[in-house]
Amino acid sequence: MSILHKTSPEVGGLGHPIKRKEDLRFIQGKGNYVDDVRLPGMVYGQVVRSPYAHARIKSISTEEAKKLSGVLAIITGEDLAKANLAWMPTLSYDKQMVLATGKVLFQSQEVAFVVAEDRYTAADAAELVEVEYEELPVLVDPHKAMDPGAPILREDREQKSNHIFHWEVGDRKATDEVFQKSAVKAKVQAFFPRCHPAPLETCGCVADFNRATGRLTVYMTSQAPHVHRTVFALVGGIPENNIRVVSPDIGGGFGNKVPVYPGYVCAIVASLTLGRPVKWIETRSENLQSTGFARDYHMTAEIAADSDGKMKALRVKTLADHGAFNAAAQPTKFPAGLFSICTGSYDFSNAFCEVDGVYTNKAPGGIAYRCSFRVTEAAYLIERVVDVLAQELKMDPADVRRKNFIPANKFPYKCALGWTYDSGNYEAAMKLALDKISYQQLRKEQAEKRAKGELMGIGISSFTEIVGAGPAHTFDILGIKMFDSCEIRVHPTGKAMARMGTKSQGQGHETTYAQIVAQELGIPAADVTIEEGDTDTAPYGLGTYASRSTPTSGAATAMAARKIRDKAKKIAAHLLECSENDLEWEPGKFYVKGAPSKAKTIQEIAFAAYTNVPPGLEAGLEAVDYYDPPNLTFPFGTYVCVVDIDKGTGEVKVRRFVAVDDCGNIINPMIVDGQIHGGLTEGLGIAFMQQIDYDENGNVQGGSFMDYLLPTAVETPHWETDKTCTPSPHHPFGAKGVGESPNVGSPAAFVNAVVDALSHLGVKHIDMPITPWKVWNVLKEKGVAA
Amino acid sequence: MAKKLTIHVKVNGQDRQADVEPRMLLVHFIREGLELTGTHIGCDTSHCGACTVLLNGKTAKSCTVFAVQADGGEILTVEGLNTDGQLHPLQQGFKEEHGLQCGFCTPGMLMSSYALLQRNPKPSEEDIRWGISGNLCRCTGYQNIVKAVQFAADKMAQGGVR
Amino acid sequence: MALKIEKTFQVPEPAEKVWAILSDPRKVATCVPGAQITGQVDEKTYQGAISVKVGPSVTDYKGDVQIVRLDAQAHEIEILGKGQDVRGRGSASMKMTGRLRALPDGGTEIASVSEVNIVGILAQMGSRVIAEVSNIMFDQFVKNFQALLKQPSDAPESQGMAAREASPINATSLAWEAAKGLLRGKS
Repeated sequence: MSILHKTSPEVGGLGHPIKRKEDLRFIQGKGNYVDDVRLPGMVYGQVVRSPYAHARIKSISTEEAKKLSGVLAIITGEDLAKANLAWMPTLSYDKQMVLATGKVLFQSQEVAFVVAEDRYTAADAAELVEVEYEELPVLVDPHKAMDPGAPILREDREQKSNHIFHWEVGDRKATDEVFQKSAVKAKVQAFFPRCHPAPLETCGCVADFNRATGRLTVYMTSQAPHVHRTVFALVGGIPENNIRVVSPDIGGGFGNKVPVYPGYVCAIVASLTLGRPVKWIETRSENLQSTGFARDYHMTAEIAADSDGKMKALRVKTLADHGAFNAAAQPTKFPAGLFSICTGSYDFSNAFCEVDGVYTNKAPGGIAYRCSFRVTEAAYLIERVVDVLAQELKMDPADVRRKNFIPANKFPYKCALGWTYDSGNYEAAMKLALDKISYQQLRKEQAEKRAKGELMGIGISSFTEIVGAGPAHTFDILGIKMFDSCEIRVHPTGKAMARMGTKSQGQGHETTYAQIVAQELGIPAADVTIEEGDTDTAPYGLGTYASRSTPTSGAATAMAARKIRDKAKKIAAHLLECSENDLEWEPGKFYVKGAPSKAKTIQEIAFAAYTNVPPGLEAGLEAVDYYDPPNLTFPFGTYVCVVDIDKGTGEVKVRRFVAVDDCGNIINPMIVDGQIHGGLTEGLGIAFMQQIDYDENGNVQGGSFMDYLLPTAVETPHWETDKTCTPSPHHPFGAKGVGESPNVGSPAAFVNAVVDALSHLGVKHIDMPITPWKVWNVLKEKGVAA
Repeated sequence: MAKKLTIHVKVNGQDRQADVEPRMLLVHFIREGLELTGTHIGCDTSHCGACTVLLNGKTAKSCTVFAVQADGGEILTVEGLNTDGQLHPLQQGFKEEHGLQCGFCTPGMLMSSYALLQRNPKPSEEDIRWGISGNLCRCTGYQNIVKAVQFAADKMAQGGVR
Repeated sequence: MALKIEKTFQVPEPAEKVWAILSDPRKVATCVPGAQITGQVDEKTYQGAISVKVGPSVTDYKGDVQIVRLDAQAHEIEILGKGQDVRGRGSASMKMTGRLRALPDGGTEIASVSEVNIVGILAQMGSRVIAEVSNIMFDQFVKNFQALLKQPSDAPESQGMAAREASPINATSLAWEAAKGLLRGKS
């Protein structure tokens, strides 16, 4: 649906690029991040970590450490075991050691927790804790995890195997039959390397148990404060009304701040024990080596097609490396997240997808990093294999896509793997992108360059993704349904306050939610205060990740505002002495049909709500809405990337990148563009620079910023963005999520461009990260290195 | 614990004095000793630049400087950018051009940009990108930060602000 | 991580003299920077320690050295050293094969192949640092070995024994040497 009423820029409803309300504190260095929290009597915690990937713990000696002046407590797994806290549940119904007992399963695993008066003493004491290990054989190759004779990692599981789950969806038999009958088959084995979200602020908390009141307050880097509160209540046995989780300002999340980490639990235990606030802030190395990683999917995709390029069936098989514990944060019924969106933008009559998850001696996880629950992996895979098909058939990759797009008139569209896409117009997005980048001209230029031996490539990614989890009938996390909420209260003088169950980590909620209220009620966004993150005051929600805020809480905000509008109408009718049926609405006021001067503004109505309500109606002007989305939303787009490859160094330079996104109706275009820039930059890093790898001994390679490279302003190209608008038919204001689209869609665009630059040499695929070294070796192999 | 040493520093125009351990990092001194929490810590290998301040007129990653090394010197942090309660043109630029999202890199970006504009009041886009190359940002993709610095450069050229 | 280092060097002394030192772990240990033999378990197994300092952090490994194979005829020795960081921050192991070959001019060529495996915090610093540090350690070993060969063979044993305090290798200076080496184009 299109937006019915346009508000003025002063009101700042949907579509206005109003400046952000939250900026003032950040630009003056007055943000309030967890490490800025300082409480009287606060002490510091530090984790002692395992240097081994797989080893038995023979002994832990804390004697030397305890002698240090200023050390207040040292907690080990044995101590926690006495309180039944040595293990905790993960969001995937597995369990994870809080502090190691018996053995350690990944390098950097938490082994002990030291608490001291200041952070320097805590660090000194952590160095003095002596742990004796007996090394065990290490398993780092997921392909070997299910071999007979592979070391069994999880002795705590009933079934002694490294196989976590097998999941499949689609029709295997029908799909296989189509493959048998098809003239053309394209196949790609694509690895999506383990990477890490690395938000600039690491994870941490201040756990403050107040002995006098019996209340535990946890200031925490949490993208989902209510869920965390419930988990702490269930795991810790503390009454939920005595726990308050506060997520203050968060310096980036990208999924890294969804899981519960041992550091949080240890800080809480320490605070309960000492009766003092305990601060735990991890270092960057700890963050990269032990917190929620992303991807690590070994995927194979095959397309069965006709010789004219019409795709018939898709077959996908994936091996998922989850590390030592399955701590992936995803909805219960989906052990591989929403990976089955891998049919992408294409109309497949048949499809089959299977995923097997295994344990290895690596950090646990692994869903994170702006992936929308594995949609990054799925989109990458389908966009890569479609290019491989195009190469097989010697067809232009844009033509193959166009030939197979789900047509715009086929929505809502039920795909072969079960999802019902709400709306889409893939061809329009692709046309805009190709026109903007002058595609035909680029192909001409490429042909000319090829004749001269120069390497230039064009990569297309026409992704469709799935966000906004999700409907109660299918989605829950640890049993809690994935609705979300909003509570709005309008004050007598016409200003308002609204709280949601989500939690921004930079997405601009203080502005965008205010704009939704402005749109629905006509109260200027500047007059609407938005609050999130304090579980004592905000209504229950599932948090912000997987691009779900606009689809769920955004919808709840609109619905709550409409409830207020309904009540406002009654009050207006009372004030204007007419019937409700005589009234019309435009943002900010009700007026009598045919007599527009007989009107009451929302501010006048608000005042009346406290001073002059009609008899029988309660005073006040507020509403709560818990929104159960009827479906997910399916944003999409086409990205086109142009690269030039230096034959001497293998360096890939991104010459141009055009991103056309469609997320339906947009709340704030300035904020959406900012999200796109940021996500594309993350995609650039993933495609060309980043990997968390492990050597055969389980040593982490890429455990600090020395090795885990992030793009700076110099490597990052200029991003060109544009939009099409295909609203979501089921969302209250036709919006879809968008924050993750750039990270979902861009890796394939980059990789397709590089492969396209080398396809005339017979190159079909190069795995990420596409480093200059990798490219140069390919050039050397093909005899074209300078 | 080593014997503490007394240091004198001028911070954002104010004379400050404190007793610190020789090994205390400047960033911890700023955040905890001086209670100026605008300067942030984002890594442990001197890469991210979230801790950037101006030390004796030059940018320094305060996580890689000891507090004792700043003795007798002058420090400018993000809290010192306001003049007479007015936002510095750079701060205005970051707001106008949407140069921040989560805000964590912002103080460091502001300080690096401030130093850049001091030595190069008319930077090209390439100059700006190189000028902030010691500061990592995960949210913005740098594009709007570049625009923010350009906004400030223009404003400062007009208004004669330094 | 596993590192393979192959080094060959020559000395003017005859093979028999070289073998006398190479086949004696206690003598070899005196040439390895930062190492010492602290005891003997049996005729094939010795206890040892090595201290590696990189910048301000010191890693002390304690473990044992085993003579896996000793062939006095062919002048070949294979030893296996394994140690754990005393503070539980990692482990290291090295398998080294040394072979002597008599040269026509009366000297000896020593060919060694070492496989080093590092687990733990030190391995996280990146293989390039470890490789260079290992190279420099080996170069220093060669210098010490050559110097030891030049000493009169009846020098008091105590000079080479564990009584001498092992000074930790300062790997910061080693790393600086390594960096200079890289810049100079040394392999």
